[in-house]
Amino acid sequence: MPETSIRLKVRFFAVLREQAGCSTLTLETTASTPAGLYSELQTKHALTFPVSLLRVSVNERYAEMTTPLAAGDRVVFIPPVAGG
Amino acid sequence: MRPAGRDACRYSISQMFELTATPIDTAALTARLAAPEAGAAVIFEGRVRNHHLGRPVIRLEYEAFDELAQAEGDAIVAETERLYPGTRVLCVHRTGTLQIGEAAVWIGVASAHRQAGFAACRHVIEDLKLRLPVWKKEHHPDGAAEWVNCTTEAAAKPAAPYYHARQVALPEVGEAGQARIAAARVLVVGVGGLGCPAALYLAGAGVGRLTLVDGGRVELSNLHRQILFTSAEVGAPKVLAAAARLRQHNPKIEIIAHEGELTATNARALVAGQTVVLDCTDNFATRFVLHDACHALGIPLVAAAVHRFEGTLDVFRRDTGGCLHCLWEGRSPAELDTAGNCAGGPVFGPAVGVLGVMQAAEAIKLLLGREGDSVHQSRLVNLLDGSQLNVERAMRPGCPVCSKLHQLKIAHPPENAEKSIFVNAAGIGALGPAAKTVYLLEAGESTPRQSAPPMITTVAALDLIQLREFAATGPLVLVCRYGVRSAAITRLLRTEGLANVFAQTG
Repeated sequence: MPETSIRLKVRFFAVLREQAGCSTLTLETTASTPAGLYSELQTKHALTFPVSLLRVSVNERYAEMTTPLAAGDRVVFIPPVAGG
Repeated sequence: MRPAGRDACRYSISQMFELTATPIDTAALTARLAAPEAGAAVIFEGRVRNHHLGRPVIRLEYEAFDELAQAEGDAIVAETERLYPGTRVLCVHRTGTLQIGEAAVWIGVASAHRQAGFAACRHVIEDLKLRLPVWKKEHHPDGAAEWVNCTTEAAAKPAAPYYHARQVALPEVGEAGQARIAAARVLVVGVGGLGCPAALYLAGAGVGRLTLVDGGRVELSNLHRQILFTSAEVGAPKVLAAAARLRQHNPKIEIIAHEGELTATNARALVAGQTVVLDCTDNFATRFVLHDACHALGIPLVAAAVHRFEGTLDVFRRDTGGCLHCLWEGRSPAELDTAGNCAGGPVFGPAVGVLGVMQAAEAIKLLLGREGDSVHQSRLVNLLDGSQLNVERAMRPGCPVCSKLHQLKIAHPPENAEKSIFVNAAGIGALGPAAKTVYLLEAGESTPRQSAPPMITTVAALDLIQLREFAATGPLVLVCRYGVRSAAITRLLRTEGLANVFAQTG
């Protein structure tokens, strides 16, 4: 089955922004879920932060790591928060 | 970073949650809380302190995912105002670099009375710490800096093992059992007298995801047994108040609040994907809908029901012990509700407490694979006379719900099981003149209620020796105040081979 790739926007904050060395990325990916996308990003951008500790938002809403991704989605990986 | 000029319209009257990159004007915010009807103004200010985990700190740097933080902040404020009716919440959170002593977050609540004000203020800060996509970086005097909660070693070592240390120490649980509990998804239908203690213990045990279903609101006359709520939440949707309380109890688990009743339309969707389901409802109509959804999807159901001082507990699993229809063959929910359910009626708080906690215990045992005899027994608990009776349940041949499964398991059903356990007034006549009707006296009950049938004798509910003697000499019809105990004892005697025992209906 041929893999289809989609174009996504990814933003990084805090510890991930520092590890990735950038705040935003536009990329082509064959990943179909945030979990797949993160593992791809870990390889490409040397992200060491474990996926088990991350939450994710898709189009500015909290989502699941298994939520299917569509072309044009805006994905943000969210490290443990520390407001207040 | 926020667009420049944003602060020009800061603290707008309509905006209840704001992110700001400039110092918080606490005096201006406090002034906005003034209202003639507000008898209380509760304010929480989170400030930058000069130490964290034993290390000195010289300044903090806050970073926010603006769009999501604004949406989450708005949602937290709106949910808090629903949770504590009559409160008005204002909240401002800083971004950027903050010096020691500066306000990082300001929360103000105006309310008629202090209870709701304090509770709402606390709720906002706790929820905000869990949900708001804001990060802070601590700068130390030696030039080092780190993102709070994001040091991989610290973050990878969650507090959970310590929190559950005493439970994990049980050989029946252990690390493997705890992992099964953490991976579980449990649905609690009804967050009342049963659901409150059940959910509290399930959250404490570390069930990974709890979904709460209830369409009701917190009422003063229910607080004596609905232990998740306080008077500050009266009028709030029960599931929201319960979810907030459970998150405080165990912040590590996921709580989903489904505001609304379980119906025939949504039952399957709510049940699908759950590991175990708890029936904590107070009416038979919902009980059957929930039971049927669980049965259809093969998900174990832990059901409890309480009437005054008494409760029954059943763990229904599709492969054994029969189903709710086997137990109440051919009886309509309306008929059963009349016979004994606690909706709106008098109820002994500890009875729902005990049964709710027993439900949590049975649910956890199912997760651990240690359900034992629970899946084929009805447990009858009476807190007035201190008795507990375990009655064997079995699949009833011909049951429209589980007969197919039953036929696969048992080629030749036992003879006695064919006869219905229930009999009405006309049926009693057909049993012949030798039939004996016995009224089962409850503890503390001196005379049967007036509508009781003409009786031959009365015995204490648990005088089984006497009842066996009666049943051995001719047809025996059992009657009791609410119809629950008589049906259970009839089943018990039937399993002993006494085929001529019946429970009177109507």
